[in-house]
Amino acid sequence: MPPTGIEPSRMNRKKGDKGFESPRPYKLTHQVVCINNINFQRKSVVGFVELTIFPTVANLNRIKLNSKQCRIYRVRINDLEAAFIYNDPTLEVCHSESKQRNLNYFSNAYAAAVSAVDPDAGNGELCIKVPSELWKHVDELKVLKIHINFSLDQPKGGLHFVVPSVEGSMAERGAHVFSCGYQNSTRFWFPCVDSYSELCTWKLEFTVDAAMVAVSNGDLVETVYTHDMRKKTFHYMLTIPTAASNISLAIGPFEVLVDPYMHEVTHFCLPQLLPLLKHTTSYLHEVFEFYEEILTCRYPYSCFKTVFIDEAYVEVAAYASMSIFSTNLLHSAMIIDETPLTRRCLAQALAQQFFGCFISRMSWSDEWVLKGISGYIYGLWMKKTFGVNEYRHWIKEELDKIVAYELKTGGVLLHPIFGGGKEKDNPASHLHFSIKHPHTLSWEYYTMFQCKAHLVMRLIENRISMEFMLQVFNKLLSLASTASSQKFQSHMWSQMLVSTYGFLKSISNVSGKDIQPLIKQWVDQSGVVKFYGSFAFNRKRNVLELEIKQDYTSPGTQKYVGPLKVTVQELDGSFNHTLQIEENSLKHDIPCHSKSRRNKKKKIPLMNGEEVDMDLSAMDADSPLLWIRIDPDMSVLRKVEFEQADFMWQYELRYERDVVAQQESILALEKFPTPASRLALTDILEQEQCFYRVRMSACFCLAKIANSMVSTWTGPPAMKSLFTRMFCCKTCPNIVRTNNFMSFQSYFLQKTMPVAMALLRDVHNLCPKEVLTFILDLIKYNDNRKNKFSDNYYRAEMIDALANSVTPAVSVNNEVRTLDNLNPDVRLILEEITRFLNMEKLLPSYRHTITVSCLRAIRVLQKNGHVPSDSSLFKSYAEYGHFVDIRIAALEAVVDYTKVDRSYEELQWLLNMIQTDPVPYVRHKILNMLTKNPPFTKTMESPLCNEALVDQLWKLMNSGTAHDWRLRCGAVDLYFTLFGLSRPSCLPLPELGLVLNLKEKKAVLNPTIIPEAGASNQESLSNPGCHAQLAGFQNPFSSSQDEEEVDMDTVHDSQAFISHHLNMLERPSTPGKEQPLEMSVHSMVAAPLSVFAKESTSSRHSEHHHHHHHEHKKKKKKHKHKHKHKHKHDSKDKDKEPFAFSSPASGRSVRSPSLSD
Amino acid sequence: MADTAAGPGGSGTRSGSKQSTNPADNYHLARRRTLQVVVSSLLTEAGFESAEKASVETLTEMLQSYISEIGRSAKSYCEHTARTQPTLSDIVVTLVEMGFNVDTLPAYAKRSQRMVITAPPVTNQPVTPKALTAGQNRPHPPHIPSHFPEFPDPHTYIKTPTYREPVSDYQVLREKAASQRRDVERALTRFMAKTGETQSLFKDDVSTFPLIAARPFTIPYLTALLPSELEIQQMEETDSSEQDEQTDTENLALHISTEDSGAEKENASVLQQNSLSGSRNGEESVIDNPYLRPVKKPKIRRKKSLS
Repeated sequence: MPPTGIEPSRMNRKKGDKGFESPRPYKLTHQVVCINNINFQRKSVVGFVELTIFPTVANLNRIKLNSKQCRIYRVRINDLEAAFIYNDPTLEVCHSESKQRNLNYFSNAYAAAVSAVDPDAGNGELCIKVPSELWKHVDELKVLKIHINFSLDQPKGGLHFVVPSVEGSMAERGAHVFSCGYQNSTRFWFPCVDSYSELCTWKLEFTVDAAMVAVSNGDLVETVYTHDMRKKTFHYMLTIPTAASNISLAIGPFEVLVDPYMHEVTHFCLPQLLPLLKHTTSYLHEVFEFYEEILTCRYPYSCFKTVFIDEAYVEVAAYASMSIFSTNLLHSAMIIDETPLTRRCLAQALAQQFFGCFISRMSWSDEWVLKGISGYIYGLWMKKTFGVNEYRHWIKEELDKIVAYELKTGGVLLHPIFGGGKEKDNPASHLHFSIKHPHTLSWEYYTMFQCKAHLVMRLIENRISMEFMLQVFNKLLSLASTASSQKFQSHMWSQMLVSTYGFLKSISNVSGKDIQPLIKQWVDQSGVVKFYGSFAFNRKRNVLELEIKQDYTSPGTQKYVGPLKVTVQELDGSFNHTLQIEENSLKHDIPCHSKSRRNKKKKIPLMNGEEVDMDLSAMDADSPLLWIRIDPDMSVLRKVEFEQADFMWQYELRYERDVVAQQESILALEKFPTPASRLALTDILEQEQCFYRVRMSACFCLAKIANSMVSTWTGPPAMKSLFTRMFCCKTCPNIVRTNNFMSFQSYFLQKTMPVAMALLRDVHNLCPKEVLTFILDLIKYNDNRKNKFSDNYYRAEMIDALANSVTPAVSVNNEVRTLDNLNPDVRLILEEITRFLNMEKLLPSYRHTITVSCLRAIRVLQKNGHVPSDSSLFKSYAEYGHFVDIRIAALEAVVDYTKVDRSYEELQWLLNMIQTDPVPYVRHKILNMLTKNPPFTKTMESPLCNEALVDQLWKLMNSGTAHDWRLRCGAVDLYFTLFGLSRPSCLPLPELGLVLNLKEKKAVLNPTIIPEAGASNQESLSNPGCHAQLAGFQNPFSSSQDEEEVDMDTVHDSQAFISHHLNMLERPSTPGKEQPLEMSVHSMVAAPLSVFAKESTSSRHSEHHHHHHHEHKKKKKKHKHKHKHKHKHDSKDKDKEPFAFSSPASGRSVRSPSLSD
Repeated sequence: MADTAAGPGGSGTRSGSKQSTNPADNYHLARRRTLQVVVSSLLTEAGFESAEKASVETLTEMLQSYISEIGRSAKSYCEHTARTQPTLSDIVVTLVEMGFNVDTLPAYAKRSQRMVITAPPVTNQPVTPKALTAGQNRPHPPHIPSHFPEFPDPHTYIKTPTYREPVSDYQVLREKAASQRRDVERALTRFMAKTGETQSLFKDDVSTFPLIAARPFTIPYLTALLPSELEIQQMEETDSSEQDEQTDTENLALHISTEDSGAEKENASVLQQNSLSGSRNGEESVIDNPYLRPVKKPKIRRKKSLS
């Protein structure tokens, strides 16, 4: 890792000790954003910003701000023209001349580039020079007002325009625009300090078409017509100090709905959707009430706005006092399945209003606190709204997800601390990306990060009790609200920032408990725990001998030491034991309370105090143990593989009341295909009181068991008689009752059972004819006329069931699939699919669920060889203009087709879509699906893997996705999946040079190179003098005086360093000592900012400087910040240099004026 | 006269070649023959001694057309003045309209050398066979004058209720409903597929499983999110009845009907009032939402115009 990390890490350490210290030499107090023209036709925005800052150091002469893709016309400070440089190294991470194609190199360079503009390190893309006239003013630490005029033309990220191509005015067409992005992305649409830690008050002004509404943060003060009365200006004031990253905007011809319960809450949706909006938001006030009650704190902002927009970047995006939602969350009262999902989104958004928007974070490494708290209180809301079962089920689901992810990738670290910038200390060396910045993170990692954060909060709650937990939150909130009301004391505002340290301190103050071990285990360290448990019952001693082993050597695991709860259900009751897991002890003796079975019939007490009758005939006569559970409360982030007898799992499933235990026993029973398991599962299915999700998973388990015992299975296919009894008519059992979905539990079961049944297979491994006819009858007799709810999800699942019943076609000599040799069963299925898909065109279902299922089913038929494999149908459904769910389903099929048919053409088609599709979410999703279902992987030979593809993908992540962090990280993920960390194997060895195996730190010489070259290479590797020089140039952003003190370890470990050597070797001339030195001089050319820094300390007030100033302006006019121009300019520079090289951090830079003299 | 002359224009040639025995045809043939005689006599009068058959036919045709036109036009005039019987003035106006100098007519009629032609043989007016009559036509009620057209045949407007034992067997009904719906759906989708663009899963066969081609929408979310008319209708039907056992489903209890619509009305009224006339005191002061406030007029302009 190049030592660019020095600055943030220094900062971090300080933060750990005391309060917040700004990385910037000034404090921002107020910002005005004024957008006076928005052109939907041209997709452009014109406006200005004005930042009010107070210098905090005397000799402030450079001000760095964030700005991306904005064209900046003019910068004035206190009405004086100011020179500025725009330099964004993230536009092109590695320069095009570089032949490097290994991901390690890229990731390092990318992290360096992001660091170079990271506001949390005091950096920015835009560097403004304070005019010399103001130097005196600055030295007195007086206020500066920076006025920047900018425009934005066809933004590719940050601001998304949706302009349907229909007739009419923009408002009639439903055209709208909204801000979007991943983490701090506000710099994409106006110049700002794009950090979560720089708070200020805001004045926001938007002039829009009179038929449109502009929704933004804070209070709408007034709306004023322009002189021609054709436009309106919306004036917003946000008096609560807010980070630029939490500023948002949505403009469109929205319908306005004032919440009938809370008049300060306003909802917005696109035209024609008002009835849906009314229904969807009718519930929101309850969420408000809930949060305000548990946090004993009023909602911090004076108003709240929800905006539902099309082509959303993410389903939910929370900003200060407003949230932007996907319009696809809207639903009518007839829709069952979407209702809880949408409500969850609303609740999530609201939780983030408190923690995330109102309370912001000090640095990226404190992000986990915010995500943790908001996720945790959202969980509490879930528990209250959907019940404990749903909540525990959700926790279990999240736990399984994070465990699976960490074991796969090697760990998620919540609170990364970066010491010294050394590669050795890199806390995430197992990953193919840097976790130093949110913008280098893989999206999947970030999702899992959030998931882990809230689970850890729950662990803290387990430790200190919920009451204390809520007190801590309340304390944080009241501190923040006190600080926020200090209008003129901006130094107080840092109280609104949360840090890991502050949070932990608050916990120890409130609870008096030491949670340090817990934090160390789950927050400061990555990995989960993997337990293997087994037991034996010692009859003589009446003792349960429990053995718990751990695997802490596999990637993503860690060793757990501490308490572990074990619950043993015995005949006499349920008993909790807390074991101490220590270094070497594996065996734990647990004394049993009950003597082995007595003959007396007696009820058995359960954990919850309930007493039940059990048929104990199945159990071991010698042992009083019914079942054992390890860590039943999920108070460790773990995976448990526990061995107990099948009858114990069956008892657990039937009688344990915890849904998590039921779920676990269902999973375990898959391995015991016996009539007893079958009976236990069927009983669960029939039990009305049982949690519906447990019953749903019992369906699938039953199908699996039935398949395993196919030769001994008696009676009708599994679940058929059950379904008939529950959902069919009494008089004619082959006809399903007309739909009535009033009871949601049975609705979900009714939906799931046929899907599971379709997985049944007979001895020939075919779906039994009886089952297929059964499902076809369900479809035939489906009658929704008397139902209050829509049956679209139900019908979609019936199609899923049909797809599940498909088995591979018997192929004779690879004959071509035609209609004539179509299997008669498949013909019936195809008949249904055709009819459903065609009916969708006439009577579309909600969110086109049926089309989605049909497309999936068609792909299944293709894949199983019943229908000729062809992607053209899917491609037509994937086009822009279809509903997004349909597009994703179609794209998924194309991705699958690409993999199965190894089609280069389709892969190109997908790659093209990634670059050109208008919807960012779709682009992201394609990359995501390609990564999940890759056409080939690094361990696989494939005709698709060729040099052109490598170059294409490299270009995509290097420069093609600079406008969208998420997309770029997605491209990196795909590259990693396809080629791995090192140089892709399909590339030829570089003509001259080494092939470095970076994982093993080994260098392999290209055999074609003459031995001298190799020798000289070794020489240069072992030359310390040139190391120092090279290290100096690699880090132009650290002050240049550091050159001499470069840590040698850093240099050795730095892969970027090695790769530079590679570049040097590609040079035809013989290497010597002088050349590296010469090179370091040239490196200055490419790194103007380092020159800046030097300059600033030496000759700040010289005349010399003035001269530059003018020169600079001229330059600016010439370039006008067109990247194309810059590029040309850049390459010209390079031509002049004796040899080309690339510095990861230097980026594309405007040439420094001081050297052009 | 005019009415009848209009008829044979079209059918004349056809009937001649057919030599059919149809009474209507005979009638028209007789008339045409008379016309031929008239043409021949006029030719004689003009001094011709013989004429080719073709030219006589042509002239006959022209004469017939002319008379037909007079008749048609006269009828129009008469109907224009809300009469059913043409009068002399109708004919006169028609002739004038057709560019004929009416004043010359009496003199021409009284010319000396004119030939008298015998009237056409009296043949019976062809009887148009009555369409199937069922029952007696209803007489006019007293307030309708008798010259108004008669009522149509009763079967065209009278409904006859039939009674049949309704099928009550549940299974049969469901079976019927299901297959009927399926047939309708299949027929409809096939029709749509036939008339529009299609896609096919099989390269060699495009007709067995025709899929209506996917067509992108300009605003895809509207069709995806809004319930179809059918569903809305269904909801209205089911809403009032049977759906009151809602309370036990605690989890997803959905808000519907009463309170919702109440809130709706309240809100709508507020919106309306606000849009109509800024702020009035009373109820709407309860809801003070900045988005409902009226848009202000620009200030600066006003100042400038004042000063």
